[in-house]
Amino acid sequence: MSNPQPHYHRFNIFQRIEHIILLISFTALAITGLPQMFSLQPWASFMIEAMGGIETVRIIHRSSAVLLIIGTIYHFVAVAYRLFVRRVALTMLPSLQDVKDGLQALGHNLGIVKTPPRMGRYSFGEKVEYWAVIWGTVVMVLTGFMLWNPISTTSLLPGEFIPAAKAAHGGEALLAVLSIVTWHFYHVHVKRFNRSMFTGYISHEEMEEEHALELHAIEQGSVGVDADPESMRRRRRVFIPAAAVITTFLLIGLYFFVTYEQTAITTVPRQNIDIFTPLTPEPGSVQ
Amino acid sequence: MDHYKNTRTINKRFLRAVGGVIWCAVIGGVLLWSRPAMAQTVPPLPQPPPDAACKLCHRDSTATVTLPSGDIIHAGIDPAVLDQSVHGVGAAAPVYCTDCHAPRQRYQFPHGENPAQDLAQFHREVAQNCEQCHVSAEVHNPGHLQAEDASQLPNCVDCHGGHAAAPVAAMQADPVGACQQCHQEFADPHVGDVHAELAANLGAGQTCETCHASTPQSEDAKCQTCHSLLTSQLTLASGDTVELHVNPQDIVDSVHGEQVIDGVQYTTLRCTDCHQDQALSGFPHQPIDAETRRELTISMQRVCQDCHTEIFELNADGVHAQHIADGDLEAATCADCHGNHAIHDPDEPRERVSQTCGNCHSEINEQYEASVHGAALLGENNPDVPVCTDCHGVHNIPDPTTAAFRLSSPQMCGRCHADVDMMEKYNISTEVFDTYVADFHGTTVTLFERHGSNEETNKAVCYDCHGVHNILPATDENSQVIKANLLATCRQCHPDANENFPDSWTSHFKPSLEHNPLVYFVDLFYMIVIPATIGGFVLFIGTDILRRTRERFQRKRRGSKGE
Repeated sequence: MSNPQPHYHRFNIFQRIEHIILLISFTALAITGLPQMFSLQPWASFMIEAMGGIETVRIIHRSSAVLLIIGTIYHFVAVAYRLFVRRVALTMLPSLQDVKDGLQALGHNLGIVKTPPRMGRYSFGEKVEYWAVIWGTVVMVLTGFMLWNPISTTSLLPGEFIPAAKAAHGGEALLAVLSIVTWHFYHVHVKRFNRSMFTGYISHEEMEEEHALELHAIEQGSVGVDADPESMRRRRRVFIPAAAVITTFLLIGLYFFVTYEQTAITTVPRQNIDIFTPLTPEPGSVQ
Repeated sequence: MDHYKNTRTINKRFLRAVGGVIWCAVIGGVLLWSRPAMAQTVPPLPQPPPDAACKLCHRDSTATVTLPSGDIIHAGIDPAVLDQSVHGVGAAAPVYCTDCHAPRQRYQFPHGENPAQDLAQFHREVAQNCEQCHVSAEVHNPGHLQAEDASQLPNCVDCHGGHAAAPVAAMQADPVGACQQCHQEFADPHVGDVHAELAANLGAGQTCETCHASTPQSEDAKCQTCHSLLTSQLTLASGDTVELHVNPQDIVDSVHGEQVIDGVQYTTLRCTDCHQDQALSGFPHQPIDAETRRELTISMQRVCQDCHTEIFELNADGVHAQHIADGDLEAATCADCHGNHAIHDPDEPRERVSQTCGNCHSEINEQYEASVHGAALLGENNPDVPVCTDCHGVHNIPDPTTAAFRLSSPQMCGRCHADVDMMEKYNISTEVFDTYVADFHGTTVTLFERHGSNEETNKAVCYDCHGVHNILPATDENSQVIKANLLATCRQCHPDANENFPDSWTSHFKPSLEHNPLVYFVDLFYMIVIPATIGGFVLFIGTDILRRTRERFQRKRRGSKGE
């Protein structure tokens, strides 16, 4: 590392891979989903054709959805690991302080408040984004399931839920994509290119500006201290089988999601009628 | 008294002389004046007619003359026959034996040997003398003179008879019979049996001369006179028959009759305008190659090609022509739809179209007639409902079983059902097209269609739900799309569909508080949440950019101050 400034480890390799998976699946879903939403707009129609036609686009969309769900399942397991095995503080949980930080940041931007908020490991902006992704994924997976399995859905819910799910799937998608394009892109690409999600490291300057409290804690040495290895091992012995069972169930659920119903037959039945049924042996004919 | 007596005597002589002169003058005058009348009343001296001598012998003769050919001339003449003939008592001027049997030297008594070789030659010889009084055969009957066998040429006597020469009126009463004296069998090698049929079918006022007039007939008139008289059928190799009868009036009354089109005056088409092919239309006609009636019908479509070139080319792309090209001879050709001689506007009246198609596609037509479209056409003469050709095209009719036809079919229905002015009349929503296209089925089909892919898709098009030819109003109790029947309709493609499933289709309604309120509220939710969220983000970002710009500016100022 030739960086003269001290830098800090922010994301481990699993988190970075998770992000890459989310990035790929989200982008693929957006690229294949938005043209479906606006399918008859010339640009959308062009994109669909460029990607191999609507049926191919649907296959890509659904494959990406499966990838996203797998990533999501992994994420829940990873969070559970932190919660039950490492028992570290859940730094992503929102709190009243985040609202205050947000207001202070706004006030500071407007020049009303002198100092910017001093924030912990995850700033209010990052929490907004994280929970938006959680919320969005839940909505998209649920409505996606309904659209993917309309017959199963209508065996439990009124039929109107299907077009409603379609409306929600589209609305939520638009919200998600626009959020990423505005909030996410501004904060990690435009304002300053924050490479930490790819390199795993963050600069001192960025830490100072965005995670002053965390920086303080790191400097105090009160961060990143796991429990003793013995209790970790003990917890893991319980966690791993439990997580394996739950993961298996979730993956079975995913398989169910994908293959549960045959919504429609593949070939529309033709009308069964005799085409040639002349009234007279030869209708017009010669004289 | 004596004196008186003397003077009286002188006077008497004078008076007698004067009286005599007057009487003479009166009688003479009367005689002179009345001379012609006297000529009438006074019969002329009995002069024997120039042929009295002829009749004296030939009246009751039973003699015969045998000519070298073996033909026999009977010498006996029945005077009654002569008297009743056109040359007999009714004649304008007496006709004597020697007028026809001329020259006189040839028939002098005692008669010499008859120089004629046979009876025909004898007749010919006698007939030469007809021209003394009558117009020549060249003028009167040029047709016969054109006969190929000059030796067999008929002469006046052959047709009009000899001693019994009938009055023209008598001949006109049975003109065919007159010709039939010679032409009993109508053994014309060119026309064969047909000749007898023609003669048998001659109508009022028609004679042999209808065809065999002295002035040559046009080609077209020949075709027409012959074929209008024919009632029999031609038998083809397969045993199929073809009607030979053509009513020339059919063509006159048809679209090919006299017409003014775009200011151009067209005369009635002639037979040979269409039947140009010498092999078929030249006379005598060549045997027909086609073995079946159907082959003949199909081969005749080339007749239309010359004038209707563009339509013919369009038709070649159509499903009927393609089937014929593939050897399926049942498929329709020009004449099957348009007829042949009696061709009339195919869509006048409009229901004629469905009747025409129904000739071959009767089962489909039955369905159509019972449909909302067909019933309105037949019952109300509705000008807006589609007839067959509105959906299927006219000549370049595409195969309706292809993926391409299926994919473009919503556009086809949309032509009318998205037409606000037309649908207004029937209180039908024009949102049906947009709402279909916005839906999963419609989007897929539209994209497939737009991308020119002729792939099959299992997504429904209009007629998968509404029916094809048997479309009923969505309010009809038998409609496939009425609520009670919708599940069965859905199950055609979604066999596992449950009771709730049909409601997942928004029934062509745009979501509103009344129809699909849940969808309406979801849309409303995002209509508010998206701008609010993104707007908030953008506003915050705006203030952030503002602060950063301000700080950078201040830093720069501080930096320059510090220096």
